[in-house]
Amino acid sequence: MLFFSYFKDLVGREVTVELKNDLAIRGTLHSVDQYLNIKLENTRVVDQDKFPHMLSVRNCFIRGSVVRYVQLPPDGVDVDLLHDATRREARGG
Amino acid sequence: MPLGATTITLTIYVNLELISVITNDGRNIVGILKGFDQATNIILDESHERVYSTKEGVQQLVLDLYIIRGDNISIIGELDEELDASLDLSEARAHPLKPFIH
Amino acid sequence: MLPLSLLKTSQGHPMLVELKNGETYNGHLVNCDTWMNIHLREVICTSKDGDRFWRMPECYIRGNTIKYLRVPDEVIDKVQEETKNRMDRKPPGVGRGRGRSGGDGGGGRRQAKGGGIGGRGGSMDDGGGGGRGWNQGGGYPSGNRGGRGGRG
Repeated sequence: MLFFSYFKDLVGREVTVELKNDLAIRGTLHSVDQYLNIKLENTRVVDQDKFPHMLSVRNCFIRGSVVRYVQLPPDGVDVDLLHDATRREARGG
Repeated sequence: MPLGATTITLTIYVNLELISVITNDGRNIVGILKGFDQATNIILDESHERVYSTKEGVQQLVLDLYIIRGDNISIIGELDEELDASLDLSEARAHPLKPFIH
Repeated sequence: MLPLSLLKTSQGHPMLVELKNGETYNGHLVNCDTWMNIHLREVICTSKDGDRFWRMPECYIRGNTIKYLRVPDEVIDKVQEETKNRMDRKPPGVGRGRGRSGGDGGGGRRQAKGGGIGGRGGSMDDGGGGGRGWNQGGGYPSGNRGGRGGRG
């Protein structure tokens, strides 16, 4: 549940989601669930010339299983907090 | 927290005028969402497929009523209809989307 | 409306099933289950490239191999009709102990709310984003199906 909790804290931030078909979508993280399905708002495709397929989509649901990377805002990563959470998770707490 | 709260719901898309679905095989299907379930299986009504190519503009194939299995879906987006109407699809040229490789 | 209810209602109707491997199956739906496993009759199978065909009297398809199903347009109206009939029907056994539990009656009423044309919108969307819903208060364009033909 670590990543689920982590992403929940990121709600409201700008992220870029790169999918397994090379499509990258930037937008505001609206919500996330246990499968790491993601909803983005105010979306735009990073390379619109190559991928005009979603030009008129302003918000979307992305299935967790097709996500390759999520690019995070640099200040959205608190390493100490993550360390602690990871240790807690490893202990089964 | 109730269990349901951890699952993103697609309810806000239901019966909206148009949604755009991108499937794992790279197809783009536009239609009206009539329903969905836990597994992201969806019902699309009045749907049509938008076929992109580099040689000609977007071709639209009428598909009507479709049930798409959740594990074949990658993106569900709300179509901004004003924006969509302002696009000239016959001028759009692009490679079809690549299929997803898991 | 649940995808599997629509599928169940499609029993007896012709349909097209595409599998993940690209093969398509045209046939009449005999039965299906909650895993989307399906049983078809009078089937024509088409290969991925579309140039080979096989005819078979019946076949079973495992649900998780399916990519999508195309069902006849009119089936969706049939589901709505059936849902309505279920709502209109009086719960059985009222006044003989069963009704008192509230199970039947309550269920019927709840369905009447959630299944109604306009009621569906707010009924489940409690999870997601709290106050940040995308269409807060706007209400959906209600059931306006005027688009048919215009886009075709």
